[in-house]
Amino acid sequence: MELKMNTLTKEFQTLRAVNGISYTMHNGVYGLLGVNGAGKTTLMRMLCTLMKPDSGSITWNGVDIFKLDGEYRKLLGYLPQEFGFYPEFSVYDYLMYIASIKGLRPTTAKKRIETLLSQVGMSKARNKKMKKLSGGMKRRVGIAQAMLNDPKILILDEPTAGLDPNERIRFRNLISELSEDRMVLLSTHIVSDIEYIANEILLMKDGSLTLSGTAEEIIASIPEKIWNCTVFKSEISNYMKQYKISNIKTVADGAQLRVISLESPCEHAVLESATLEDAFLYYFGEKAEVNEYDAEI
Amino acid sequence: MMLKYEIKKVFSRTGGKISLFLLVFLLLLTCYFATSISYVNEKGESENGYRAVQKLRQAKKEWAGLLDDEKLRAVLTENARINAMPEGQAENNVTLSNITYGRKQGFSDISSLISHAFADGFREYDYYKADSLCAEQAGNFYPNRIRLLRDWLYDEAKDQFSETEKTWIIAQYEALETPYIYDYSDGWQQLFEFSPTIIMITMLVLGYLVSGIFSNEFSLKADSVFYSSVYGRNKAVSAKVKAGICITTTLYFIMILLYTVIVLLYLGADSMNHPIQISWKNWKTFYNLTFGQEYLLIVMGGYIGCLFISLLTMFISAKTKSSILAVIVPFILVFLPSFVSFFQSSVVNKILGLLPDRLLQISTAINYFDLYSIGQTVVPAIPILFLLYGILSIALMPVIYLEYKQKQLG
Ligand SMILES: Nc1ncnc2c1ncn2[C@@H]1O[C@H](COP(=O)(O)OP(=O)(O)O)[C@@H](O)[C@H]1O
Ligand SMILES: [Mg+2]
Repeated sequence: MELKMNTLTKEFQTLRAVNGISYTMHNGVYGLLGVNGAGKTTLMRMLCTLMKPDSGSITWNGVDIFKLDGEYRKLLGYLPQEFGFYPEFSVYDYLMYIASIKGLRPTTAKKRIETLLSQVGMSKARNKKMKKLSGGMKRRVGIAQAMLNDPKILILDEPTAGLDPNERIRFRNLISELSEDRMVLLSTHIVSDIEYIANEILLMKDGSLTLSGTAEEIIASIPEKIWNCTVFKSEISNYMKQYKISNIKTVADGAQLRVISLESPCEHAVLESATLEDAFLYYFGEKAEVNEYDAEI
Repeated sequence: MMLKYEIKKVFSRTGGKISLFLLVFLLLLTCYFATSISYVNEKGESENGYRAVQKLRQAKKEWAGLLDDEKLRAVLTENARINAMPEGQAENNVTLSNITYGRKQGFSDISSLISHAFADGFREYDYYKADSLCAEQAGNFYPNRIRLLRDWLYDEAKDQFSETEKTWIIAQYEALETPYIYDYSDGWQQLFEFSPTIIMITMLVLGYLVSGIFSNEFSLKADSVFYSSVYGRNKAVSAKVKAGICITTTLYFIMILLYTVIVLLYLGADSMNHPIQISWKNWKTFYNLTFGQEYLLIVMGGYIGCLFISLLTMFISAKTKSSILAVIVPFILVFLPSFVSFFQSSVVNKILGLLPDRLLQISTAINYFDLYSIGQTVVPAIPILFLLYGILSIALMPVIYLEYKQKQLG
């Protein structure tokens, strides 16, 4: 069980959306972290055989996935970033149709759909039309369809985007529940989505993998230190220019900055332990998108 | 399973349901027009409805039987007798001439044939010809058909056909068994007259229905899940092709069946085994067929035409990922030829004669003198159309499949 990418490259006109990526995946949850436009979706769409790489290859247990064709897709579950469906179909009909193109027999499909509907908490909405579902419900049906064939390889492209905080947490739990005994690749631009559920985190920037490892390894790889600095409001912009600031919190007589720097950036600076958010900022040079509610939990 | 859901995708759309209602509505409307026959009674008034149909049928049936010299003489004699009546003498009185018309209804079909047979030229038609003939001339009825044709072929139309083709057409005329057997045939005639309407309506609606089968996966953004599934690049694609064929076949035959049953139940199916040349509309056709045989040609031609246009629509849908472009195809194929036909030229006509819209209107195509010579063999248009579009339809099926199967997603 080994999915291997060898110097994978995909170009759109002059843009290299994926630029020479080599990486090997086994069972476990892989979090693909990168800002919008990093090339996550492009990479995943190649892994799903939706488009062919311009150069490089993808192999499953040593065989090219485009040669394996149906054999490979049999093992695949995919939730695309833009999840499209047949709006007039009921949830049940939609899943029955997808089950049929995934090669499930009707009787097997029915049982499988029952299980999945209750697992994603959609049993009651089974007869609702797809177009009548809320964003979160659609996403849950999306997960269910990806899981229909009990895939060995589950690819989820930004499954939590656009969900409210509560739903996002439920989703995280659902994904970690479903991830047993398979290879899950989950993309996001939100650190908290994968911080705790991913065994392995891949940082992707401008089409390349910058860094990969466990959350601890990635945090430990920051060659600088994290400082907590209390400054006057008027000084904030100066600090912003000079340092990478991973967080700003307004306090009574100024602001508390979370500064990434080798040296202490101000007097009375307090040394703090680094988080994955800090790593994200350090490597991507921009602040990770943090959900207000998420930060509290 | 896949097939069932592909069909469901088409009809679950609001547009899919609306088009079914539209089909039913247009079917009833066409049937209404096809069955609108009037009968003129003794008072010169027009009657409509089922009773009128029965009266007209009765009147015509009195002249049923072998259309030989004797029958033709009887028609000419009866025509002269009616003309001699007081009402027949009144020239400018509408009511009186209607009464006269009413009296001639029973043999109106036959006198129309006489108008053709005794016209001054092949392309002429003299409505009042029967009035000026005497009974003794009846014997020229069948020979005239061939004589007029021959005169036309070697004079006005001499450059239009090759020598072999001229011989072939004349041979077809001579091969037709005479005398004809005449009977009431308005049921078939009306059925044929409106068959292009019903078939074209069905075609346009079918085109709309199948136009989205392939492109909608893309416009709905359902393509990613589709193509990443096991059958996404094989069985699920053939299920789509099958769905299109299924929808086309089923809807087409349901429409034709309903149309046929309604019209023939109302107007009667008499003359099924009689030559179509007993209808003045088909007097000149070189296709020697019975009404029953022409009906089969119309139905099968319409089917092959619809199937071909449906498949072409599906191909464009698969190729361009756009249902708008796809849905234009049937409109172009159905309507464009009638515009192009304004440019009268023999090359244009040769091409027009082989376009698929002809298959949708066999009842008209049957009267065209479209001939194609392959070496010394002369072949009329209709068998070529059947063969050509039959083969193209079958060839399109794997082409659509392969086109859609290998799509790369952007
Ligand atoms: N079909 C396409 N045509 C042209 N450019 C594309 C296409 N798809 C993606 N891109 C470009 O490739 C880059 C990577 O996009 P994407 O893979 O969607 O990134 P991500 O999923 O990480 O946000 C972006 O700059 C995007 O604009
Ligand atoms: Mg993306």
